Amino acid sequence: MGDHGPGFEPDLDEGSIVARAQDGDLEAFEHLVLAYQYKIFRLAYRMLNDHGEAEDIVQETLTTSWRGLAMLADVDAFGGWIYRLATNKCLDLLRKRSAHAVNCTQPEDMDTSPEACARAVPAGSDPAHEAEWSAEQDGLTAVLNTLPPAQRACWLLREMHGRSYAEIGVTLKISPTAVRGTLARARHEIAEGMSEWR
Amino acid sequence: MALEDIPRLGCGRSIDRIWATIDRLPTAHEEHCEQCQTARTRLQRLGEATRLLCESDLHDPALKPRPGIENAIMDVARAEVRRGSSILLRSADSGTTEISEQALSSLIRVAAAAIPGVHSRRCRIEIRSATASPAGEDHPSGTTRTATNAGPRLIVNLWVAAAQGIVIPRTMEALRQEIGNALPAGVGIGAGTVNITVEDLYDV
Repeated sequence: MGDHGPGFEPDLDEGSIVARAQDGDLEAFEHLVLAYQYKIFRLAYRMLNDHGEAEDIVQETLTTSWRGLAMLADVDAFGGWIYRLATNKCLDLLRKRSAHAVNCTQPEDMDTSPEACARAVPAGSDPAHEAEWSAEQDGLTAVLNTLPPAQRACWLLREMHGRSYAEIGVTLKISPTAVRGTLARARHEIAEGMSEWR
Repeated sequence: MALEDIPRLGCGRSIDRIWATIDRLPTAHEEHCEQCQTARTRLQRLGEATRLLCESDLHDPALKPRPGIENAIMDVARAEVRRGSSILLRSADSGTTEISEQALSSLIRVAAAAIPGVHSRRCRIEIRSATASPAGEDHPSGTTRTATNAGPRLIVNLWVAAAQGIVIPRTMEALRQEIGNALPAGVGIGAGTVNITVEDLYDV
């Protein structure tokens, strides 16, 4: 599996890697860390808009997974489980923020450091197209950050991470039908919001 | 929450339906409905922006955790690693000799990696002295190798995933032989019994 980095049996399926990690195989666990740390970071960053807090989520999620690996009955469920751990940690953090009455979801409060604002730009883009492209993304992320946390998580898990309705439902403790409804409302609100943005 | 909660346009079309057919040509209704046209345009714009944001986030060097995060995770894992039980090979007045299950498992996994179509998974190892059990107890027909010496015998329980389409009995016999050769060669202990469970099939 290419995602799992060099130095391992090249075509090893993820279920086998998880099973070995359950046996205490550190090399196998390290491959899982390499495969998931960036995905979890991207999810957490888009949920929290804070680089440091997103790193904390990555660290806590993967450390928790190591401690709980033995209890994972289905090795093929590792991906869904790790996303569930990370999403719920993000939602817990947002609830704590909310309890402290700090509204970090407004665009003006977002992480605006140069690193956070840096964007990967496709090679060969012309400046006008690049600017338009960048504005579209700014609009999308600005509106995304106005959605309630659970709705934002639902949209991110489906649209940015391709997770299944069933898995998102388990994570957010709602039915797959409710996931579909939540997604439709999120798309509607983001599309409407983007049309009014700026 | 029910499907009725899915937003609908004034013309009655659901956002969900428009989204699901966004890549197709507009229907006769959508061609003439201003609300549908607006919704299609906005959702297409959202779809494109989503795709670009995914791509951008994936390649953005700023959207990665520091390398120190991975190190911190692995430090915890190393500190808390389950080494498995130690297997007592020999006990005498002069002292005992033990080997960790982890060390033997590593050897077994390396041996298994030499067999195409097999991914080794969990491994549990026990030891039994040659005289501790009646002859034949661990010898289901055709599944054993005899230890290379008269000392203790290892009982290896290995779970594997097999590639779809391989001949499982023949492949597992090759795996059993590979492990039976690797253990004496690697640590000087014979594998008395190698029990293999194919718990999953993987796509090639």
